[in-house]
Amino acid sequence: MATKAAVSVSVAASITAASSSSSKFVINTPHRFLCLKRLSSFSSFSASALAIKCTSISNCSPNKSARSMEGFTTRTRASAQPLENASELIASVETFIFDCDGVIWKGDKLIDGVPETLDMLRSKGKRLVFVTNNSTKSRKQYGKKFETLGLNVNEEEIFASSFAAAAYLKSINFPKDKKVYVIGEDGILKELELAGFQYLGGPVCKHFNLHEDGGKKIELKPGFLMEHDKDVGAVVVGFDRYFNYYKVQYGTLCIRENPGCLFIATNRDAVTHLTDAQEWAGGGSMVGAICGSTQREPLVVGKPSTFMMDYLANKFGILKSQICMVGDRLDTDILFGQNGGCKTLLVLSGVTSLSMLQSPSNSIQPDFYTNKISDFLSIKAATL
Amino acid sequence: MEQVSMEATNPNPSSMSGVAAASAAELLCCANARALLDSVDAFLFDCDGDKLIDGVPQTLDMLRSKGKKLVFVTNNSTKSRIQYANKFQSLGLSVNQDEIFSSSFAAAMYLKVNQFPPHKKVYVIGGEGIVQELQLAGFTALGGPEDAEKRAQWKSNCLFEHDKYVGAVVVGLDPDINYYKLQYATLCIRENPGCLFIATNRDSVGHMTDLQEWPGAGCMVAAVCGSTEQEPIVVGKPSTFMMDFLLQKFNVSTSRMCMVGDRLDTDILFGQNAGCKTLLVLSGVTTQSTLDDPSNSIKPDYYTNKVSDILSLLGE
Repeated sequence: MATKAAVSVSVAASITAASSSSSKFVINTPHRFLCLKRLSSFSSFSASALAIKCTSISNCSPNKSARSMEGFTTRTRASAQPLENASELIASVETFIFDCDGVIWKGDKLIDGVPETLDMLRSKGKRLVFVTNNSTKSRKQYGKKFETLGLNVNEEEIFASSFAAAAYLKSINFPKDKKVYVIGEDGILKELELAGFQYLGGPVCKHFNLHEDGGKKIELKPGFLMEHDKDVGAVVVGFDRYFNYYKVQYGTLCIRENPGCLFIATNRDAVTHLTDAQEWAGGGSMVGAICGSTQREPLVVGKPSTFMMDYLANKFGILKSQICMVGDRLDTDILFGQNGGCKTLLVLSGVTSLSMLQSPSNSIQPDFYTNKISDFLSIKAATL
Repeated sequence: MEQVSMEATNPNPSSMSGVAAASAAELLCCANARALLDSVDAFLFDCDGDKLIDGVPQTLDMLRSKGKKLVFVTNNSTKSRIQYANKFQSLGLSVNQDEIFSSSFAAAMYLKVNQFPPHKKVYVIGGEGIVQELQLAGFTALGGPEDAEKRAQWKSNCLFEHDKYVGAVVVGLDPDINYYKLQYATLCIRENPGCLFIATNRDSVGHMTDLQEWPGAGCMVAAVCGSTEQEPIVVGKPSTFMMDFLLQKFNVSTSRMCMVGDRLDTDILFGQNAGCKTLLVLSGVTTQSTLDDPSNSIKPDYYTNKVSDILSLLGE
């Protein structure tokens, strides 16, 4: 299976009939992303075409590139064009959405020419938004990272998947008397707190013996019972370096036994660049684990689900057709842009190489591609 | 109430679609019990859960005395066959290790029958059982319980290393699952050319303690699927690998085997996929009402209360 270089298709989100019908929380926003499959290619579609049947939810594996889509026709996109006329693209949109890892920075190092590029775009009156699937930091903490790197970015312009999880719960009026169980890191906890939600869990286990919960030793022996809080109404799962069996069991019990309990994933990225030197198992792994034990699919709030796109379009009053999504990953960033009906620009400064883009097994074609965002600074893009 | 899950890598289309539904399961009685016994040379017992209890030792003795081969099949990979044999003996059941087919053994056998090169290594996310079976089969195992206390570091100049000679990753139930193991397995599968991804089984939950269910191997396997975007080769129930292996070993056709178990979606489906006769016992997780429920499309050939009914119905 040539999945190492190729982009694979996966099920991004679905709400099982059980959770949506028994849920007491009114979903009052038209988030049809909730039932969106990650598709290899399709044309921009209207909201009504989003009524895709969610099939085969028993299998949480995302690697089903041959899976056909029921319910509507797909159109193969034309191959991505090298960006030759940057000013034309810039003039044609009002907002640029940037992914962060591999576009703005790599690990903790700024990519060449980024500050000047962002300044140039702002001077042309363009709105800039930063969307990242990384849930380890809150948007405030990201604001600090931007500042440390010498970039002039406001925290209101940053949308991390940690924020998305809290924003989603807010959008469905998740009751304040219900709790959220978190399998994930600090960023999620901070955003939930800011949004006024009660939470349990988080990385706290790293401070204790991994087999202890407030002093109770976990032992798989007769007579041992793990209790769980019946008031947990949602389990949020994201990237968690302190992942362990205890957390899986707690989350599983909540999802299986608390009526209407939501299963929310910040994102399902298979790998992430924790360090710039190599790939690391990503949030897709922790989410996969919970799918495996609950046999349920999560509601995904991060890319490529369009939740964040819908949120910021609504918040800033912008039209999707006026947006250009710039990212380095085909199956999250570019698909995110396509799902939302935006223009898409792939940069080769991150995880995707030209050969991966052009590989016959890749079916995600952005509108344009270029080396890095500072190519915007030249009237014609630098030769590739 | 969770639905019956279809975890088979080789699903039987007719039993899953429900279109041509199998005829209703027959309650085991004196007449059909005798017919069953005469038409079967080997009995495969699922031993997950605690159904091998009252009256079972005598039932097994009776079957052996009639020349029937017995196989004890379990998806639990935490023990090796020798360890299982010891466990059975402590419960008063005399079972030989050669009669046991654990998913830990299945993983080692898969590598053996597929001529896994001896100079290659196997990385294990799972328990001692898998490590032991791999070693018994002559393979080099890395990871397993040893990696429970390992922690990953993520500093700029620190590279997470992995052995380039790992040619297979075997994933089973692991209550000591951690990020280090996930990362190690992920790098092996993504970066070592041709590295196999093998799952002992994909059970979502199991009764690790008597009071409640706990996440099963399906959890660890799905975690690795999530980071590698690859599907594993499943060697345990309901995949037919075990069955194919037993076919070769006993030289008995599957139509002359009977699978006895308490789970429709693993045991019975497993038997049906391979063309065996199937006998559901109601002493485990499946109740009469689950069996009869219209939403259930898996119909065993026979059903009965417990294993020892085989003995009592034959009037022996």
